[in-house]
Amino acid sequence: MTQSAQSQSQQSPVMDIVRNYGIHLVLAVLIVVTAILSPAFLTANNISNMLLQAAPLGIVVIGQVPVILVRGLDLSVASVMATAAVVATCFSGQDTDALPVFIVAISIGLATGLVNGLLITKRNVSPFLATLATMTLLQGMRFAYTQGAPSGNVPPIYRVLGSQTFFGVPYNLMILVVLAAFFSILLHKTTYGRRVYLTGGNPVMARLVGIHADRITIASYVISGGLAALAGLIYSGFVGIVDNWVGRGFELDSIVAAVMGGVALSGGRGSIVGGLFGAAILVVVFNAVLMIGLPIEFQIIIKGAVIIVAAAFYVRKTI
Amino acid sequence: MTSVASIFTFLTKRRGGLLTVIGLIFVLTLFGVIVSDKFGTYSNAVNILEQSTPLAIVSLGQTLVIITGGIDLSIGSMVSLASVLLSGLTAGDPVMMYVAIVTILVLGGLVGIINAGASIYLRVHPLIVTLGTGAILQGITLLYTQTPIGKMPKGFDELAYGRVLGLPLGAVFTIVVFVVTAVFLRKVPLGRYIYATGDDAVGAQLMGLPRRKVLFVAYGFCGMMAAVASIFLVARLGAGQPYTGQNFTLTSITPVVVGGTLLSGGRGGVIGTLMGVYLVSLLNNLLNFLSLSTHYQLIVQGLIVIIAVSVYVENKRKV
Amino acid sequence: MLTISKVSKSFPGVKALSDVHLEVKAGEIHALVGENGAGKSTLTRIIAGVHQPDEGTIEFDGEIVHWASPAAAKAAGIHVIYQEFVLFPNLTVAENIFLGHERRGFMNGIDHSRTRQDAADLLGRLGVKIDPDALVAELSVADQQMVEIAKALVHKVKLLILDEPTAVIAGHEVELLFGRLRALRDDGVAIIYISHRLEEIFELCDRVTVLKDGQFVATEQVEAMTNDSLVSLMVGRDMSELFPPKAPVGQTRPVVLSATDVSVKGRVHNANIELRAGEITALSGMVGAGRTELAMALFGGLPMSSGQIAIGGETFRKMTPSLAIEKGIGLLTEDRKGQGLAMLMDVATNISASDLNSVSKSGWLNHSAEQDIAKSEIENYRIACRGPQGAVLTMSGGNQQKVLVARWARTSKKVIIMDEPTRGVDVGAKAEIYRIMRELAAKGLAVLMISSEMPEVIGLADRVFVMREGVITGELGAGQIDEQRIIQLATQKRAS
Repeated sequence: MTQSAQSQSQQSPVMDIVRNYGIHLVLAVLIVVTAILSPAFLTANNISNMLLQAAPLGIVVIGQVPVILVRGLDLSVASVMATAAVVATCFSGQDTDALPVFIVAISIGLATGLVNGLLITKRNVSPFLATLATMTLLQGMRFAYTQGAPSGNVPPIYRVLGSQTFFGVPYNLMILVVLAAFFSILLHKTTYGRRVYLTGGNPVMARLVGIHADRITIASYVISGGLAALAGLIYSGFVGIVDNWVGRGFELDSIVAAVMGGVALSGGRGSIVGGLFGAAILVVVFNAVLMIGLPIEFQIIIKGAVIIVAAAFYVRKTI
Repeated sequence: MTSVASIFTFLTKRRGGLLTVIGLIFVLTLFGVIVSDKFGTYSNAVNILEQSTPLAIVSLGQTLVIITGGIDLSIGSMVSLASVLLSGLTAGDPVMMYVAIVTILVLGGLVGIINAGASIYLRVHPLIVTLGTGAILQGITLLYTQTPIGKMPKGFDELAYGRVLGLPLGAVFTIVVFVVTAVFLRKVPLGRYIYATGDDAVGAQLMGLPRRKVLFVAYGFCGMMAAVASIFLVARLGAGQPYTGQNFTLTSITPVVVGGTLLSGGRGGVIGTLMGVYLVSLLNNLLNFLSLSTHYQLIVQGLIVIIAVSVYVENKRKV
Repeated sequence: MLTISKVSKSFPGVKALSDVHLEVKAGEIHALVGENGAGKSTLTRIIAGVHQPDEGTIEFDGEIVHWASPAAAKAAGIHVIYQEFVLFPNLTVAENIFLGHERRGFMNGIDHSRTRQDAADLLGRLGVKIDPDALVAELSVADQQMVEIAKALVHKVKLLILDEPTAVIAGHEVELLFGRLRALRDDGVAIIYISHRLEEIFELCDRVTVLKDGQFVATEQVEAMTNDSLVSLMVGRDMSELFPPKAPVGQTRPVVLSATDVSVKGRVHNANIELRAGEITALSGMVGAGRTELAMALFGGLPMSSGQIAIGGETFRKMTPSLAIEKGIGLLTEDRKGQGLAMLMDVATNISASDLNSVSKSGWLNHSAEQDIAKSEIENYRIACRGPQGAVLTMSGGNQQKVLVARWARTSKKVIIMDEPTRGVDVGAKAEIYRIMRELAAKGLAVLMISSEMPEVIGLADRVFVMREGVITGELGAGQIDEQRIIQLATQKRAS
C-alpha cells in the first residue's frame, strides 16, 4: 500500500537532498558567493558583527517557533521588544536598577503573551488579529508614556551583554545558545514539547487524547512574549539609544526565519534549530546586501520575496 | 409596511452587530455634543467626513478580500507606493497627472492580481503572500524615495477640500463607491460567489463556481482601492510620502471587523464597514476634543479590535 | 448516456479505482453499490470532473469527454448530490438553490424576489415547507438534504448522481424523493443512485453495478437479484467468514459503564445506555440521529447538558477526555483525518499520543521506549508501514485505523468506543478489524460500535441500541437483532 509513496520519493534522490538539507545548502552557497564578491565579508570583525546582530533576532525566533508549531503567529513581538527597550531607559540608568528593569520588562512580555493566548483560545480570535491588536495597544501605551520621544539611559550591564564580546564571542550569542539549547530540549525531550507538537499537528485530536490544548497554546504565546522582552533588553544594549521603534520589522523577520527554516505554518512540524538556520540566512543576506554595496532597501525586498518562496517550497513538500 | 418590518427583523436577527455600531455612533455623538460645543458643529462633521475618506476607501477593498476568507496585508505599502508615484510622476504637470493616476490604478490592480495569483498557484495563505508583497512594495517605495516627493498641480486639493451640495467631495465619492459595491455584491452573481467562496471554498469548487475569478476580482479591486485612497491622501497632504500608508494595514481591518464581517469569510458586508469607518473616525475625533494625544488613538484602536472580535465570536462548534 | 471504460485512479498510498466499467442509459435509475471504500465516491467524483482518471475513457452523450473541472461536467448536464452537502451556511435557502443559475431581472441583475418565489415553488414541488429566506445554517439536516435535492431540479440535467440521499431523511420525505426521481427517469434523465440500504435499490432501481475494493464486479438487472446474491457480490465472500463468532448467549455479564439520562444540547435527549464487559454493543440509527454525539458525550468530547455516567463505581456529571482516558475509556472517531490522527506525524507518535506517561518518566520522554512500543504494536496488529517512523498520511485507511486501535487499546481498560470503525477500509482489513474488536471484547472490555452498515451491525453486535432524532428508541438483545427491527426503530416516529 505504501508502494506508490515510496516510489515517489525514490524517483529523485537529488530532490530529497535538496528538500532535507536545502536550508544548509542555501546558507553555504550564500556565504561562498558573498565571500567571493566582497573580501571584507569573511573578516573576523564582520563575522563578530553579524553574530552580535544575530542574537536578538535568534531569541525572538526561539519564541516564535513554538507559537507557529501550535498553528499560530505572533505579530506582537516587535512591539514587546520596543516596550522592553523603553522600560530599560525608564529607571535610573544605573546597574543597580538592572534587576527591576528586567522584572518589569519580562513581566510585560509575559502578560502580552497571556493576553494573546487567552484571546486566541478562549475567544476564538484568529492569532493574526489578536497579536496585531495587542501590538497596536502596546505601541499606543508606549507612545503615550514616552510622549513620542523616549529619553534616558540603558543600564551599563545591558550594554555589555548586548554589544561586548568575550574573547571574540559576543555575550548575547552565549545567551542565545543557552536559550536555544534549553528550549530545544524542552520541545524534543519532554512530554510538554510533545504536547506542543501534537496540538499543532491536529488540535482536535490533541483535545481528544486528553491534552489541554488551550493551555499548551497559551504557554507558547507566553514564552514568545517573554523571550521577545528579553530580546528587546539585549537589543537596547546593542543599539545603545532607544527609540519607540526598536525591533521594528522583527515580527516579519522572525516569521520569515522560522518558515525558511522549515517550521510549517500549518503547525506541528519544525524545530528551533531550523528556525535559527533561517535567522542565520537572513542575517547573512542583510549583511551581504551592505557588503556588496546594494541599497539597504534591498533587504526588505529580498525578505518579502523569500517568505513567499519559502512558504511555497514547504507547501509542495507536504502535499 | 411589511417590508419595513422585514428589514427590521433582518437587522435585528442577522445584523445585530450593525445596529450596535449605529447605536454607538449615536451615543458617541451625543457624548461629544455634551462635552464640547464645537463637536456638534457643521464644520466638525465635515472635518470627520473629510478625514475618513482614505480609510473608508481602503477598508472597502479590504472588506471584499476578507469576505473571500483572505486578507490583504500589502495594502498599507500599496498606499505608500501609489502616493509617492502619483506626486513623483506628476511633478506639478497637469498632463502628467492623468498619466500618473492611470499608472497607479493599473499598478494597484496588478499587485492585487499578483497577490491572488500567488495564493492560488503557489498555494500559500494570503496572509503570508501579502506580508511578503507588502515588504517588497515598501522596499521599492524606499528605493524610489525616502522623503516626500513631487507636487500636484494647482487645484488638486479640491479633491480633499471641495464640496458637493455642502458635503465634502470625498465623502460623496465614498458613499457612491460603497453603494455601487453593495449593489454589485447583492445583484451581480459574481458578488454572491464572493460570499460563497468565503463560506466554503471547497464547496464552491465542487459547485463549479469560478473561484479563481472571484479571488482575482477581490484582490485586484482591493489593490485598486488602495491606489484610489492614495489619490485622496495626496490631495490632502500635497505630496506623496513613503510612510504615508503604513498604518492602513491595521486600520483598514478594524472597521471591517467592527462592521460585522467575519475574518473567516462568507459573512458581512460593505455597509457595516462604512459604519465601522464612521465609528472609528468619530472616536478619533472625540479623542482630539478631549485633548488626548494621538497616541491614545492607537490604544483605542487596539481595544476596539479586541472588543469587536470578542463580540462577534465565530460560532465554530468545538468537538 | 454515460459509458465509463477501464478507468483507474490512484492517490498517494492508495489505488482507489482500477479498470472500472459503468454504463448508464438515459431513462434508467442505476444503482451503484459496494461497501465503504469500494470506490463509489471516487468514481462519482471522476464523473463530476473533480478528479481526472489516470487511465481509461469517459463517454457522455455520445462523445469522449475529458472534464478538467466540476464546472465543465456541470455545463455538460451532470448534477451531483454529495453525501456531505455542498451548501453555503451563510447564504439563504433560495440563494443556495440558484447559486450558479441566478434568476435575472432588472439590468440583468439578480432578481431576489423571483429567486425567492421560484425557490418556494421548487420546494413546494418536493412537498416540503422550508422558508426560502432562512439561512441554510439554521436548517435541520433533513431540510438541508431537501435543499440539495431542490438544487438538482433547477436546470435541465441529463445525468443526476445521488450519493446516499436517504441517509438523513425518512418516511414521507423518502416517498416524495422517490416520486421525483421516477418522474425524472420517465423524462429521460439518467440517474445513478448510491445507497447502503438494499431494500431501496429493489424498490427504486432498474439495474445495479457492484464495486469492490476499487474494482468492477458486475452489472445486473435488479429484478434478477435477491438481497443475498447482492450482498455476496458486494462482500465477495460468505458473510460468516467475515465475522468472528459472537459472544456466547445466556451468560449475564457485568455492566461496566452506564449512562443515565444523558443529553447533549440539541442533539441527544435523555439517553440511557448500558455497556457490558465482554460484549460488542452497536449503536445504530440514521446519520444525524445523535449517535456520534452520544458517544462523544460518554467520552467527554462534547459537554453533557444533563445526566450522569457511572463507571467503575464512580458517578460523573461532567466528563472530559483526560478524565475518560484515566477511567479507562477510549474513543476512535469516525473522522480519522480530522479528529483521529496527526496525519503528518509518524506512527510511533500517533500510537503514544494518548498515553505519554508510558513513554516518559517525570516529564522526560524516552524515545527508545516509544520506538519499542511502536514496533511491538506494529507487529501485534500487523500494521503495514515503513516502521515506527513511517508517516501515517501515506498509509491505507485500514492501516490508519489499526494505528488508532493500537493507540486506544493501550489505554482503554474498560470501554472502547469505535465510531464507524470500517469506514474507508478494504474488505481484508475489515475482517481483521472485526477480529480485533472481538478479541478486545473477549479480554473483558465493553466495545461500543457505531455503524451505518447493516450487515456489520447484524453480523458483529451482541446487543444493539437504536437511535432516532437524539432519542434511544429501543434495545435489541441476542436473537432479536435483524434488519427489519433495526430499521423500524430507526425510522419510527417518536412515541410521545
